Amino acid sequence: MTLLNLPDYSLENYTLASLPRLAELRTLSLNSKPAICIERARYITRFLRKHDKPDDAPEVRQARAVHYFLRHKSVQFFDKNLLAGSTTSKPLGAPLFPEFFALYLWPELDSVSTREKNPMTLTTAEADELNFEIFPFWMDRNVIELARTRFGNPRCLQLFENLSFFLAGKAGCISHAVPLYKPMLEQGLEGLIQIAQTRKNQLAADNNPETKQQQDFYAAIQIALEGIIIYAEHLAEEAENLAEISDQPEIKNHFEMIAKVCRHVPAKPARSFREAVNAIWICQVGIHAENINMAMSPGRLDQILWPYYQQDIAKGELTVAEAIEILGCLWLKLSDNVTMVPEASEEMFGGAGTVPAVTLGGVDKEGRDCVNDLTYIMLRVTELLKTRDPNVNARYHYEVNSHQYCRRVSDVIINTRAVPAFFNDVKNIEALMGQGETLEHARDYAIIGCVELASSGRDYPASSSIMLNLVACMEMAMYQGKRPITEEEQIGPVTASPSQISSFEGFWEIFKNQTRWLIDQAVQLNEMFGTIHQQMMPSPLLSAFFEGPMEKGRDLIQGGAVYNSSGATHIGFANVVDSLNAIEEVVFNEKKYTLEELFTAVRNNFSGSDGEKMRVYLQNRAPKYGTEHPIARKNARNLTRFLFQTYQSYTNYRGGKYRPAYWTMTNHAGLGAISSALPDGRRANELLASGITPVSGAAPELTTCLNAVAELGGTEIPGCWALNMKYTPEEDTDAMGKRFAQTVEAYFRSGGQQVQFNLMTYEMLLDAKKHPEKYPELMVRVSGYSAYFKHLNEHMKDELIHRTQYNLTNGHAVDFPE
Amino acid sequence: MIELIQEQVYQGLWRQLNNCIESEVAEEFLQTLLTLMKIMFVIQPDYRRNIVNFNGRYQFASKDGEVTVAAIFGKNRMKVVEGTIKDPNITVTFRSGKALLNFLLSPKQDILISMLNREIQTNGNLNYISKFGYMSKRLLQLMPRL
Repeated sequence: MTLLNLPDYSLENYTLASLPRLAELRTLSLNSKPAICIERARYITRFLRKHDKPDDAPEVRQARAVHYFLRHKSVQFFDKNLLAGSTTSKPLGAPLFPEFFALYLWPELDSVSTREKNPMTLTTAEADELNFEIFPFWMDRNVIELARTRFGNPRCLQLFENLSFFLAGKAGCISHAVPLYKPMLEQGLEGLIQIAQTRKNQLAADNNPETKQQQDFYAAIQIALEGIIIYAEHLAEEAENLAEISDQPEIKNHFEMIAKVCRHVPAKPARSFREAVNAIWICQVGIHAENINMAMSPGRLDQILWPYYQQDIAKGELTVAEAIEILGCLWLKLSDNVTMVPEASEEMFGGAGTVPAVTLGGVDKEGRDCVNDLTYIMLRVTELLKTRDPNVNARYHYEVNSHQYCRRVSDVIINTRAVPAFFNDVKNIEALMGQGETLEHARDYAIIGCVELASSGRDYPASSSIMLNLVACMEMAMYQGKRPITEEEQIGPVTASPSQISSFEGFWEIFKNQTRWLIDQAVQLNEMFGTIHQQMMPSPLLSAFFEGPMEKGRDLIQGGAVYNSSGATHIGFANVVDSLNAIEEVVFNEKKYTLEELFTAVRNNFSGSDGEKMRVYLQNRAPKYGTEHPIARKNARNLTRFLFQTYQSYTNYRGGKYRPAYWTMTNHAGLGAISSALPDGRRANELLASGITPVSGAAPELTTCLNAVAELGGTEIPGCWALNMKYTPEEDTDAMGKRFAQTVEAYFRSGGQQVQFNLMTYEMLLDAKKHPEKYPELMVRVSGYSAYFKHLNEHMKDELIHRTQYNLTNGHAVDFPE
Repeated sequence: MIELIQEQVYQGLWRQLNNCIESEVAEEFLQTLLTLMKIMFVIQPDYRRNIVNFNGRYQFASKDGEVTVAAIFGKNRMKVVEGTIKDPNITVTFRSGKALLNFLLSPKQDILISMLNREIQTNGNLNYISKFGYMSKRLLQLMPRL
């Protein structure tokens, strides 16, 4: 059987009307109201109170806690989904991880069910249990507090808690990984347990301390994986019960099939496509028992599942319709959980899903085109369901993959208005090889969460370790290490005042000095948190699904993976580049204003008529990132290069490098709302640009804009980026699809690493903000992930509305309506 | 007679708290809140359950230095102390009584915005302030009809 056998790659004959199960499940999913699930918090706390043995190795303690939870985890069948297992005890659940931020829900226990923005159901009994039993146990025990105690409330922690300098991801998670499911599918969890046993036995005669750690780690893997097997057995038992009590043949058969699947997988090797899909899903559930639900990404499913699909189709045991249905069920299962967001955090994080990323297409380890029938089936599932999660991403190698594939991805984006995102194999493989990954490993990359890159199951990149606010660095450079928001407090080093700076190069050095200082603070904190994670939150279960830990006898958190980087993303990139441009051109080249005049006006938020005159000049006449202006191009390149070199000079606690990236989730809106004015003409509290996208309105020509971004791509951005483009929808979708695909290809050939789209107009989004009831399912791309427009906070809605809209036919930006 | 006087004192305190919540000025807010909290922990067993086996040391201070007060929880009781205490679990510095009120009691939690705007600054374990926020809101539910 060849890779491509479908008579029609659009699969347009398969619709929700012909797939009633998917139609029903989709409706249920979209109408589900999130509820907080306290089950994991309950059992992990109970275990630690009653059964924990503090003298055990951290990996063993964690494995035993996870095993205990999985043994007690409730078994739920909420609907007609063909797959068994659920991440939480609710149809749409927000699990609580008290090891991280769960306690910030405390003030809201009585109001979270009824709060205005994104309410989440919580019963009175559950609230009481959290208040009296669970939360008190964790008051001094979560990651932040253990770090505070151990490191003496360090300066870097205080900067993080200010929230406007940088965010430290490890306070809330590591997760962000692509597990390797192939060995599990081929050998079953029992096979993996046996491998761990064999390795443990091989070490038995050796008594040195490192060997003891390895033995403990192998034991931990066994304990954790046995927990998943027990959970699967419970699923089978419950399905058998439900089959037995049903007198409807269809329902009886449904549960008998589920029971049969769960009796076999994931304990044993998968024998069929359905078993393989359900085995992956049950293991995803298991991984979420250990790791918080943030960007735990199943990876290249069209590749992993291909042998099972191919075999079942060849044997006549599976039809395309059945494959679509099973995968649709998986897509909806991947959407069965959300993150718990306290109302206070909605301003910065509101509306985000859990961003499990699925990666399609691209090339295989040998560099061959690996787009197959399943790639197209998964694209069709994505097109039909139009759900926020999973975050579907299409890899495209313009020298290897077909134009037909590129065109089909483009059509799905046009039809869904938002998904999938496009990734450039040529540049992303180059970027990973620049990090020391082998060609084979780099070719086998998958997307994590928003946009981050990882060699599937080999790379543990902790990709959201740092989210650095570049605006803070700019302000500290302008105000001698202080910021308007922190008033007279000296934050960064005391650097020269404007009257002492005589050249742009002088200011650039000051900016770099302040940025280096802030990066150092962020890295210090990440290292501290990493040390705490090593003691408190090892991941033996997740380690079992990686290449490296089993061979080294070392947990992921101890550097067990093949690659062990940390990720740092940046907020305010375009605004800071444009501010540098304005300083260089307007102050030092044109000498229209002195640096003092500029900074004084900026500090006063361009107040008064002279201030406004200056602001308009800066906004309209200073060079802008996203255009061909040489100063803008130089400053963008210099900034990415400087950040790359600075981060790469650090080695993290797992022995890997820090990798810079440019994606912002919704932080560019939240941080923009509290940031002072900038030399690019942006007023105080206005939104910042998203990801690596130019400032709204700054780049009037589409091609120029794409080229300006694309030329930054490659080895200096190993964490990848989010470029957000908004296109005017066109009536002639066929003609649009052709131009769309051509534009993506040209952008990739220029070096672009990633691009994502919203196909909507200013007017439509303004109307959606005003009349949310008219757009209940409107899905948008934020900065790396998808969200339902109605769930976003007001700042983020405004940001999406104001993003530059381009007309693909003429390549010009569309004027914002009066 | 003593009970009547006590009742009148409670009513006065509740009225004062209510005034703080409803008016734009709330300079008396913290003192009133702490006093009411302390009383209700004594007279309401259900409310007292919140501080059973709880040890916590809170330092509150206004930015202008006018107010410095501490709340200490231990032995199933609450103690209010004027001035500074040693080793607080959390120190909360507030720009105004209104800012503190919004921080602790606003129906729409303004913790993040209050912190980002420097209306409120904290130093220490934020879990303690989360618990205190919950207890403050629970206290409001005990407010009699005035």
